[in-house]
Amino acid sequence: MIWLNPLAWFALAAVAVPIAAHLLAHQRGERLRFPTLRFIPPTRIAAIRRRALDDVPLLLVRVAIVAGAAAAFAGPLVTTAWRRAAWDGRLVRVAVGPRQQFDSADLRQGLRRAVAWLDNAPPARREIVVTAPLTIGTLDERDVKAVPPSTGLRFERSGETPRSRMLAAATIATPTAEVRRTVTLDAGRTTVREENAGGRPSIPVDIVAPPEQQGRARAALEAVLALRLPIPAADRRVRVVLRGNNQPEQSGTAPVATAWMADAIARIAADPGLRAEAAAVEPQPTWQFASRNGTLEIAARADVPDLFLAALVRAVGLALTPLDDVRAAEVLPIPDRQLRAWTREPGPAPPPRADTVDRDDRRWLWLAVLLLLAAESWVRRRRRDADEVHHEERARVA
Amino acid sequence: MKAAAPVCPPAVLAGIADLELVARIVVEGLVSGLHRSPFHGYTAEFSQYRHYQPGDDLKYVDWKLAARTDRIYIKQFRETTNMAATLVVDASASMEFPPAPEISKHRYAVIMAAALAHLISRQGDAIGLLAGGDADVFLPARTGRSHLTRLLASLASLKTGGTWSAAASIRRAAERLTRRGLILVLSDLYDDEDLARAELRRAVRQGHEVVVFQVVSRSEIEFSYRRSLEVVDLESGRTVAVDAAAARREYKDALAAFLERWRTLAGREGIRYSLVVTDTPPERALRSFLLSRRATH
Repeated sequence: MIWLNPLAWFALAAVAVPIAAHLLAHQRGERLRFPTLRFIPPTRIAAIRRRALDDVPLLLVRVAIVAGAAAAFAGPLVTTAWRRAAWDGRLVRVAVGPRQQFDSADLRQGLRRAVAWLDNAPPARREIVVTAPLTIGTLDERDVKAVPPSTGLRFERSGETPRSRMLAAATIATPTAEVRRTVTLDAGRTTVREENAGGRPSIPVDIVAPPEQQGRARAALEAVLALRLPIPAADRRVRVVLRGNNQPEQSGTAPVATAWMADAIARIAADPGLRAEAAAVEPQPTWQFASRNGTLEIAARADVPDLFLAALVRAVGLALTPLDDVRAAEVLPIPDRQLRAWTREPGPAPPPRADTVDRDDRRWLWLAVLLLLAAESWVRRRRRDADEVHHEERARVA
Repeated sequence: MKAAAPVCPPAVLAGIADLELVARIVVEGLVSGLHRSPFHGYTAEFSQYRHYQPGDDLKYVDWKLAARTDRIYIKQFRETTNMAATLVVDASASMEFPPAPEISKHRYAVIMAAALAHLISRQGDAIGLLAGGDADVFLPARTGRSHLTRLLASLASLKTGGTWSAAASIRRAAERLTRRGLILVLSDLYDDEDLARAELRRAVRQGHEVVVFQVVSRSEIEFSYRRSLEVVDLESGRTVAVDAAAARREYKDALAAFLERWRTLAGREGIRYSLVVTDTPPERALRSFLLSRRATH
């Protein structure tokens, strides 16, 4: 048995009401104005005060009424084998498909909405059928893991996958101008088309160096631009500080606490070109990262080789550039082998909730409560009739 | 053999507002079997002989007859001079029981008192009233129709409430009677027993004839309640919880012992005692009392 609304058991505390009523009713008793108390034995008075409850059968009936009502509110559901078989015999299926082709965000959102909808479905086995071109990038392992394990998954390819797609890539800075790039994905071949966008190329990297090192710094920047560098976002700036041997550290820096700075530091440290140049220098050069007024500051020794300086500036420029996500534009289908691995049969129907079960067993408890109410009424009527007979007897005696 | 006179049930009498009429009904039913003045004095014309009983005044022994018959007789006289009687009526709160529709002890005592007053007054004797409780009513013993009317009006307007000191009322009544007289007490006597007995004893020793009608209801005697009760004392207002069924036996035993103490005391002290239950027709209770009284005079 499961309880669809177990919090309702707190209503069981209401049994205190009939108990208190019986205690209080007992203490009050029938009021009788009598000429004198001198003949009423005190022991009996004490005994009546010690007794806890009056009319225990009636009290039990009333407690049972309250308990029955509390249990009914708690929503009992007896999970018999027959009932489980009935649930397992039903299948709730949701078909998910993109409203627009190649809209991976749409397919992911559809999958999440399907999971939420199934969560509120009546007790039954659940299955999601994804009907889409199913190109790479529209779904991945994380999306599949977000679906509850008991929910079945099936994938059906539909629609045509286009032969090619075009998308805009990051703008490139060159020594003479900025270059706008367009990427074309055509089956297994990728083509990048470039066109001159005009304007002066600029990258948000400043090099602060002693006067005698200024020439080296400019040369390093020119070399980096010659190798073409994606233009990063304008709000991300880096200052490379080249310090002499006896030059003290500049004050006013703070530890790095900004996400893009931390990301950039990680990418600089992992840059293969920089690592290769650093390995060729003896002794190994070191550099330090800090934050100053929203700018990432990188401090290095001024006597590093020119190639290392150029590799450092290039690594910094690349680290500031967001990566092009071309997965969403991919035209290659997810391999059938992968889809088969993701496919699974629906599991047994999950336990129902109060808002999903179509019919629980509380009606039987309400019926029992009604019968108990009738019994309580009958007991009270019997008491009243007995009292009336008693009064009539007294009147006859009088 | 005379047919028994019809009696009027207490409930019917209780429903009649005119107390004088009630008294007349009771008395008419009462005297139909007696034919003579039922109250005997000690200084009037000779009435009859009766056997001597311990406690009788020796000055009323007919010694000549004793010499002739070897038996001791007491001479009884019918009072021809004005006899003075005082009704001592308990109007305390405890008399306001049982509740309607049964006749209360108070109403019953008032009817009895009215009948007695009517009976005594029609003999030409003086009758007075002393009622206690919240109300303090005193009418000195006098004769006459107008006095009887006033006394009956006082009785009819008597309200119950508060407590009543039997001892103080009996003492006051005895002191107000200038010569030997008759004191008629109508009460449930739920009072200090020792004090009441002492005053009754004193009144008897002063030469008064003392008659006690102890009025109780059937409900008090039977205590036939079943369930748990919250019993409220009518006089003190004190409340106790009682399991009536469990307490009934001990209650009845205690009440029976209380009534027996009064009966025994009355017999010992020369007090005429009559236990009156409110479901008995008043004329029957009075007749029974008067017949027993005549038998002892």
